[in-house]
Amino acid sequence: MIPILFIITIIAFLFVHLTPGDPIRIMYGAEIDQETYEQMREREGFNDPLVVQYGRYMYNMAIQGDFGQSYRTRSDVSEEVLRRFGYTFILTILSMFWAILIGVTVGIISATKRNSILDRLGMISTITALSIPEFWFGLMMMQIFAVQFGWFPTSGSGTWLHLILPSLTLGFGVAATIVRFTRSSVLEVLREDYVRTARAKGQKESVVIWSHVLRNALIPVVTMAGLQFGFLIGGAVVVEQVFAWPGLGSYLIDGILTRDYPVIQALILLFSFQFLLINLLVDISYGFLNPQIRYE
Amino acid sequence: MLSRKGIWLLIVLSFMFILAACQSNDETPNDESNNGVTEEEVNETENDNTNAGNTNDNEEVNNETDASSESGGEVTVGIEAEPTSMDPHNTTDGNSATVQSTMFEGLLRFDEDMNIVNVLAEDYDYSDDATEVTFTLREGVTFHDGTEFDANVVKENLDFVRDSENGLARSSFFSFIDEVEVEDDFTVTIRSEEPNSAMASYMAHSSAAMKSVDEIEKKQEDEDYNLDREGAVGTGPFQFVEWRDSEHVIVEKFDDYWNEEELARVDQITFRPVQEASTRVNMLQTGEVDLIFPIPTLNAAELEEEEEIDLFTGPTTDVFYIGMNFENDKYEDLDVRQAMNHAVNKDGLIAQVLDGYGTIADSAIAPNVYGYSGQPIYEYDVEGAQELMDGSEQSDGFEATLWTRNSTEFISVAEYVAIQLEEIGIDVEVQAYESGTLFDMLDAGEDTDMWIGRWSPGTGEADYGLRPNFASDRVPPNFNNSGFYINEELDEMFDEALATPDEDEAMEIYAEIQQKIYEDAPWVFLHIPDAIIAKNRDLVGIYVLPSGAVNLNLAEFQ
Repeated sequence: MIPILFIITIIAFLFVHLTPGDPIRIMYGAEIDQETYEQMREREGFNDPLVVQYGRYMYNMAIQGDFGQSYRTRSDVSEEVLRRFGYTFILTILSMFWAILIGVTVGIISATKRNSILDRLGMISTITALSIPEFWFGLMMMQIFAVQFGWFPTSGSGTWLHLILPSLTLGFGVAATIVRFTRSSVLEVLREDYVRTARAKGQKESVVIWSHVLRNALIPVVTMAGLQFGFLIGGAVVVEQVFAWPGLGSYLIDGILTRDYPVIQALILLFSFQFLLINLLVDISYGFLNPQIRYE
Repeated sequence: MLSRKGIWLLIVLSFMFILAACQSNDETPNDESNNGVTEEEVNETENDNTNAGNTNDNEEVNNETDASSESGGEVTVGIEAEPTSMDPHNTTDGNSATVQSTMFEGLLRFDEDMNIVNVLAEDYDYSDDATEVTFTLREGVTFHDGTEFDANVVKENLDFVRDSENGLARSSFFSFIDEVEVEDDFTVTIRSEEPNSAMASYMAHSSAAMKSVDEIEKKQEDEDYNLDREGAVGTGPFQFVEWRDSEHVIVEKFDDYWNEEELARVDQITFRPVQEASTRVNMLQTGEVDLIFPIPTLNAAELEEEEEIDLFTGPTTDVFYIGMNFENDKYEDLDVRQAMNHAVNKDGLIAQVLDGYGTIADSAIAPNVYGYSGQPIYEYDVEGAQELMDGSEQSDGFEATLWTRNSTEFISVAEYVAIQLEEIGIDVEVQAYESGTLFDMLDAGEDTDMWIGRWSPGTGEADYGLRPNFASDRVPPNFNNSGFYINEELDEMFDEALATPDEDEAMEIYAEIQQKIYEDAPWVFLHIPDAIIAKNRDLVGIYVLPSGAVNLNLAEFQ
């Protein structure tokens, strides 16, 4: 993992520094004169060769544990990332909870009652949920449940009520994907010999589904959910923006728009690390779901 | 056996999810991973929902909602973007300036009509040759940290900000100062090397704010002291409480404010950055915020219908224009440039693209800029424009590329202009870029053709409105003369105007400069957008400065 992360630091560093756009120019516009501009560049070390800048970055990060200060708001990046990670984590967990709850339930129903009205309805809703842009869906949820009914606050953070709308918005999109995965996977497993055997043994249908079908069918679903979790934990850019949720997604967007190098670099590194970690966890969980899967 | 294990596993898994979810819900307010969102914040958010504050903390506030004499309560403001600093000396953006204006004051300020009024100064006088301006300071002013305001504070502040070693964004703004001299405890003189009749208006700018000397000393002693986040100690009616990135900036009433007549009417102001405009509008409708700005013109029309909401509009100091690269032969002929100006229907642009929220730009600077002088505009006249084109060096028309920022506002203006220029044989291709990238391309100055720009002088006066855009020494990589417009006559007039001690004479020179620029048409002059602010009808005492900054110091609930 360490060598991969090391390579990622290089890529992240090059990525941000080779992107056109100048943090100082963006931050202060043309309000500062050339002299002040040059001084600020010098102060931030932008005039040094890239290798020197990278070395300094690595030294500060790896040796001093210092991810630097945001150019945009002058706050400490590591503190800020940690704080926002909390927000993103809570939002992700709750969204995944909705997604799995809705996704797996609807998926199983769709598969076992294949071609019934319920199945059709389920499939239509998933296609709809997949096609609706999150942005619009979020604003609609806000319009209906916050503005019209006044049940939830429109945006921001602070109480658990603030979580509901953004997590539902996020969760629905993921749920749709999970429904489709669960359905096709369950259908596939239903055709397996051991399911026929189980039924032939005269086991109850519910037992067949729960213990024979699901255990095998859920493996691709878990992979899928893990991947989705990985995406969400990287901050849901659109939803966070719409609901003014102070998570990592909005941090990344603000960072990119203002070329806030320390912020972007820290986030890329964090997201990569999360992905590596989640992949590992997903692999391990296969073993739990199906003990036949073993790693040497 | 196996199957039972499987079921258990599933149950445990789903429990974990439920548990995790519940836990996170319950603990959000105090959760460690949240770094302790404080009780206050929870209360405050509840207040947002109920608008005036119904929690225990604010019992008194509630009882007073009908009594207008001693009001109180908390104002929540939805702003477009997060402030970048709490230090007026290191700020160039409007959001930061709006937040800071509740906490900081300078010697002078601009009022709603762009007149200079005294704040921490009681009086000021120019020397006869306009190289000196002497301020008599107000006595009995205390900073939020209890320190006294006096002449030494002024000197320390100005010396600190203009010392380029300190790396503050506004250091060049104060480069006109040669020396600050303390005459006595409450008299201070600012000297410049050249005569400078704009000194008072510079000192009325929001960045000429005074902060406590203690803060400056902290920074001098400790290089790592973060003035941007911690140093917000001014003399204003509100004092700094907390700034949490992407969440809020909170300021509270300062009880020892020197001007008892203008003591804050509310106990607290919370600024919440909400980038998505539709969300800001929704928040105002639910009463979670009391005031929002800016607002897209489309939403403005919709909000105008709402009973509970007041809409304010007023011209900003932003001028939208199409710039062109003079290194490119296409734009050499004055006829071509004037034809382009005539070809664009400014009224149509304002009506269709801006939903009516704007005015035609009749100079290179906006009417609210100090030193403005309006010119007879280029009337919309396609036939006249075509005739000019026919008689010019470019009678066959030409192809051009128009660079724009990728925001909806800019793109729709660019598209509108492109269509109209096609009428006179200019085949325009609109290319949209993210603004950071666009700045880079313009500063490089290599492939610039036409671009759509927006300029507002941060100082609110003519020199800053004109010089960066039209002076020969401001061509790339310096900013902002991205079109390499060279006019030596203007260069001399810029210096002459600054060196003229008599204000009226200086204004005349600026008027002449503006006339020359408008006639020479180095830009296609477009429009000045309106600032649009919407607020809860019960909130009063707010005014909007011509710079577009919102003054909340006297806000109160009816």
